[in-house]
Amino acid sequence: MNNRRFARTAGWLVLLCVVAAGLLAWYVTRQPASPFEQQQATSFEPALVSRGEYVARVSDCVACHSLTGKQPFAGGLEMATPLGAIHATNITPDREHGIGAYSLADFDRAVRHGVAPGGRRLYPAMPYPSYVKLNDDDVKALYAFFMQGVQPANQANIPSDIPWPLNMRWPIALWNGVFAPTATYAANPGQDALWNRGAYIVQGPGHCGSCHTPRGLAFNEKALDESGAPFLAGALLDGWYAPSLRQDHNTGLGRWSEAQIVQFLKTGRNAHAVVYGSMTEAFNNSTQFMQDEDLAAIARYLKSLPGDPQRDGSPWQYQAVAITPAQNLGAHTYATRCASCHGLDGKGQPEWMPPLAGATSALAKEDASAINITLNGSQRVVTAGLPDAYRMPAFREQLSDEEIAQVLTYVRSTWGNQGGTVDTKAVGKLRGHTDPASSSPIILHMR
Amino acid sequence: MELRINQKAYQVDAEADTPLLWVIRDNLGLTGTKYGCGLAQCGACSVLVDGNVVRSCVTPVAGVVGREITTIEAIEEDEVGKRVVATWVERQVAQCGYCQSGQVMAATALLKHTPAPTAEQINAAMINLCRCGTYNAIQSAMQDLAKQESV
Ligand code: FES
Ligand code: FES
Repeated sequence: MNNRRFARTAGWLVLLCVVAAGLLAWYVTRQPASPFEQQQATSFEPALVSRGEYVARVSDCVACHSLTGKQPFAGGLEMATPLGAIHATNITPDREHGIGAYSLADFDRAVRHGVAPGGRRLYPAMPYPSYVKLNDDDVKALYAFFMQGVQPANQANIPSDIPWPLNMRWPIALWNGVFAPTATYAANPGQDALWNRGAYIVQGPGHCGSCHTPRGLAFNEKALDESGAPFLAGALLDGWYAPSLRQDHNTGLGRWSEAQIVQFLKTGRNAHAVVYGSMTEAFNNSTQFMQDEDLAAIARYLKSLPGDPQRDGSPWQYQAVAITPAQNLGAHTYATRCASCHGLDGKGQPEWMPPLAGATSALAKEDASAINITLNGSQRVVTAGLPDAYRMPAFREQLSDEEIAQVLTYVRSTWGNQGGTVDTKAVGKLRGHTDPASSSPIILHMR
Repeated sequence: MELRINQKAYQVDAEADTPLLWVIRDNLGLTGTKYGCGLAQCGACSVLVDGNVVRSCVTPVAGVVGREITTIEAIEEDEVGKRVVATWVERQVAQCGYCQSGQVMAATALLKHTPAPTAEQINAAMINLCRCGTYNAIQSAMQDLAKQESV
């Protein structure tokens, strides 16, 4: 009797497991729906192709899917994750290695939902949780551009070196279920067209949050639109601190006018700052190509995101200091190494060499950006094909960890700056992680 | 734009962000000011702007319009500059000479603000690089100059 009951219970359990496993298998290989299911487009109007090229610019596809000096969109950028390296793929219309065999619906599923043909899940290094906001017209234009405006490259993809079983892709479907939204951008009727256009670009194609929104334990962005306070509130990533894009007075855009935001995205510089770190690539490849109306829309939207005085600290105000270069190692190093460009008064030479007085990197608690740029310098800012005349040199070989820590401590506690002290060990650590020959490179290169 | 260099007015046609060094050397042919690194690291390009030493390779030309620029070509017209050059000759400071225009500028700027600098002040101000290693000769010359004034 007991045995029979046991057998029956066990039977039910097995059945339940089978059903659950079946459901799971279905769920994790499921092809999300696409509005383009039955459409097969093979040739496109030139206007649509060039519209798609613009969408690709705004989405900055090239940042990951191209290597400098190599054929555009042929893939190859290595991204180090905690589990191993993955490589951006070939997205040229090559039929063998690229996406030449993708239908419009396949393309849509990859871009907006992170699902490749056959149900294979993409790693969320591809910012599909943002691209899902793209509207149908832009997806179609993007497809037209990649099919007809890009040269096919017969270049094989590099397999990831993440070991089995960690390289199984199906768990990503579960991650998506929890963290990746499924809806395209829906206009907010309470706001005007400019604001909505800005929201669309920032949340969707621009995927600003990929760098500027803090991530949770599962590497998920903590918010994907203005309904969440962490949205664009600043985040540490790749050894840089991507500052807040909200109205934070110190660490955000509180002191920037809409015109200054436009100027920054269009020319790479304004009276407050010059692009550096990962933003240089975003500028070189993407924001400078945006149309003026789109930049204005971005500025309008960003100016609508409130700051958080509690997180941001008391509002920065310039404080003059007497110049006594010999007072300590930090001040001395500043006077000899930094002041020629940034000024003994810390005010820089706007808009060419940025002020350090009131700079985000000198006000934020996170000191990664200050350390990183001092160690490694800045990359060329290239506007309309012309490199700019000034760049931050790398001091990696010239200054010791202690000298860098001291000079940054000086910068971050002078002229009203309140970022505070920089630890010598923190400099040493970042020096190791950003050494080109490092065996412990910066974790998760996500853009 | 109009620049005032060595008491003369020059009409210059250049982009606002052009480094002053290029305007001085290429547009105006005043080649006494040297290009070393272009990154504010060596000081070879030092000139005076309103009596302060600046590194012209990192000085956007738009920022010095309306200000008084002095280059090595006219340094001996300046009272202090003249003494610096004389002492430089006396101490035979120069080797190849490439960095020396910048060194003289740095020395002149220091002595204009601080006629009798201490050893510490000299060290803090004379930070230009010299690949010939004339640092000791520069030190001696600076000590002479500091003494001249304190006597
Ligand atoms: S050339 Fe200007 S400091 Fe070296
Ligand atoms: S004398 Fe030759 S570089 Fe200084």
